[in-house]
Amino acid sequence: MAVSPVVTHEATSNVKVTAAKAKSLAVRTNSFPHKTEAPPEKKQGGQELAERLNHETKEKYVKDKKLGEGTYAIVYLGHLKADPLSKVAIKKIKVNTEYRDGLSMDAIREVKYLQELSHPNIIALHAVFSSKNQNLNLVLEFLPLGDLEMLIKDSEGIRYGTAEVKAWMGMLGRAVWFCHENFVLHRDIKPNNLFIAADGEVKLADFGLARSFSDPYRPMTYQVITRWYRPPELLYGARFYSGAVDVWSMGTVFAELILRVPFLAGNTDIHQLELICQAVGTPTEEIWPGVSKLEGYVGYEKASIVPVRGKDFYLARFGTAGPVGVDLLMSMLALDPRKRSTARQMLEHRWWTSDPRPTAKVDLPRKGGGLEKMGDDLKRRGGEVEDGRGNKVARKLNFGATK
Amino acid sequence: MRFLVNPECYHKMCESCVDRIFSQGPAPCPVAGCARTLRKQRFRKQTFEDLQIEREVDVRRRVAATFNRRESEFQTLRDYNNYLEEVETLTFNLLYNIDVAITEAKLASYAKQNAADIANNKALSAQESASTEARMAAQKEQARLRREAARIEEEEERREREEGRREIIEKIAHSTDDPDKIVREGQKVVLKKSTARRNAADRLRAQDAASVDNASAPLFQIAGLRPITQPQLEQVYDPFGGYVVKPSYFELQPSYAHPWLEKAKTDPQILAGGYDVGEYCARTMMEACAGLGVFVEEEVARRERAADADLGTQSAAIAGGEGGGSGSDVL
Repeated sequence: MAVSPVVTHEATSNVKVTAAKAKSLAVRTNSFPHKTEAPPEKKQGGQELAERLNHETKEKYVKDKKLGEGTYAIVYLGHLKADPLSKVAIKKIKVNTEYRDGLSMDAIREVKYLQELSHPNIIALHAVFSSKNQNLNLVLEFLPLGDLEMLIKDSEGIRYGTAEVKAWMGMLGRAVWFCHENFVLHRDIKPNNLFIAADGEVKLADFGLARSFSDPYRPMTYQVITRWYRPPELLYGARFYSGAVDVWSMGTVFAELILRVPFLAGNTDIHQLELICQAVGTPTEEIWPGVSKLEGYVGYEKASIVPVRGKDFYLARFGTAGPVGVDLLMSMLALDPRKRSTARQMLEHRWWTSDPRPTAKVDLPRKGGGLEKMGDDLKRRGGEVEDGRGNKVARKLNFGATK
Repeated sequence: MRFLVNPECYHKMCESCVDRIFSQGPAPCPVAGCARTLRKQRFRKQTFEDLQIEREVDVRRRVAATFNRRESEFQTLRDYNNYLEEVETLTFNLLYNIDVAITEAKLASYAKQNAADIANNKALSAQESASTEARMAAQKEQARLRREAARIEEEEERREREEGRREIIEKIAHSTDDPDKIVREGQKVVLKKSTARRNAADRLRAQDAASVDNASAPLFQIAGLRPITQPQLEQVYDPFGGYVVKPSYFELQPSYAHPWLEKAKTDPQILAGGYDVGEYCARTMMEACAGLGVFVEEEVARRERAADADLGTQSAAIAGGEGGGSGSDVL
């Protein structure tokens, strides 16, 4: 009779299932009559449910073929099992050496922000599931026509004018404005993160460096944004910044669209600052109060100070955008982030309503980027450039610096 | 002896029997067990040896005459393929006598509902086949004329060459000049004549071609053109793309006083980088109100109604059930 007390004890503990647990158990058993599919060992209720949901999501998609492989991710073309004509890109994040015990920060950031943001000019994240070995798979919108950088670089094959630039900038501006309205900083805006959908729509992608607006006194890292598109406050090591950093990047993209070469292509951070001084003006206390308090600020001699460039200087270089367009460009490239226009102010500018009217998206020039290009673009890690044009520009996010 | 069949029952009988039995008007089929009423008029010679195939072709022809939609009428290839599949199911049912009554009713109702479209497509395909035939006939006729012209030309040339030679011989016979010189001159004349004729023929041919082109122009058809949609009136360009982000649960104030925020509003290190406390306030207000007005049960019910009965619905119900009521046990 030594066994019986134990049995009764077990029985009583079984009865003590909370009401909530009972309810959830009931829901589970009602909805999943196929008990045979469950893994053999009995697991805790929640875990099992998560596994089932994951399995269901995974079963919805079929991987077709590999589009590209990088150090960070492998990209596949896939489709919905229910609809063979639908197309998706499946980005499988590799388990890498740095984050052996968990997921890489890039992947977490990407999932965290993409699943919140739903806008026609932001790449859509359809689903997330994990495959064997705990690999993370992101099911992304399929964007077959390459990126904006391809169009900018192909100056022989592709001709475009102010109306086209206006259409592209409008779509980029809308995407960034929507991010900022939802308190998300993108922190890696550049032409090869701007994908082109089959209908010509520009879509902002690669949220690997994104984060939400910071709390007061909580420092952020300044090692973000690919160097050519990085604003002066980050180059001076500012730890507290705002959406103005993305607006600067948009300004440089705007300039690049007009010039068809990168506007400020610095080789090092110092060189980048020099280029900014030459093209925009030297940051001083007069035009940017408090700039000398920033960690990385370097003083300039009186003789070497370049005064802030006036409208005539810009008109000489960006005359094709017209005086109103130049006015907008200048407001986006203001040195002091507080004087720089916000994404909302940028969209409220009168350039959008003045002539010429932005080209309709179906009439925008396009170039068959094809599957390989999308594979190449997605496998990149945030802040990385792979085409040799600026190999040294790559900058990894330094998480140690924020501590 | 000639055998005939009637598409009513496909029983084979000889011509003389058909004459004998059905001359007086409709009569039942003489084959034992088949009591269908047949009419003489509908008897015909069979095209295929296998009567099954004969019947299948008849059924398909009848169905195709009703379901004559074209791919260009569909918005996507998928829709068109679904339509084809449906038509094939219908045909199959008729062929193998599955639910014949229902299927016939379907066919009749479709024919009635889409009479205008069916007539339209029928006219279109008739026009297409007519124009193709006309074009082919015109091409054939042209080829015949060309061959004829070439034959006549060749004959003429031969005749002329003959004549030229005879002339030269005549000249040599009746003149005292150097025979070699006469031959040379005579050849030159022949050459000149033939060149002139060839040029004239070329000109004629070009004219011919042009006139034929004009004649066949209205017959030329391009398949696969989409119907032209009227361009819509251009809307005023909206830089925001129609999106409005406006908080519905709170009114954002220009400034919020809190001792904790004071330093962030004045510290030059924080301000110089562009950090804005106002943005922080807006974000916290948004986050505080983010869950208001969200009712998971309602959302799930709406989604379930919209979604098809597929896997997605099932998973949504699970997620909804867990999120709505008993969150404590999950994960």
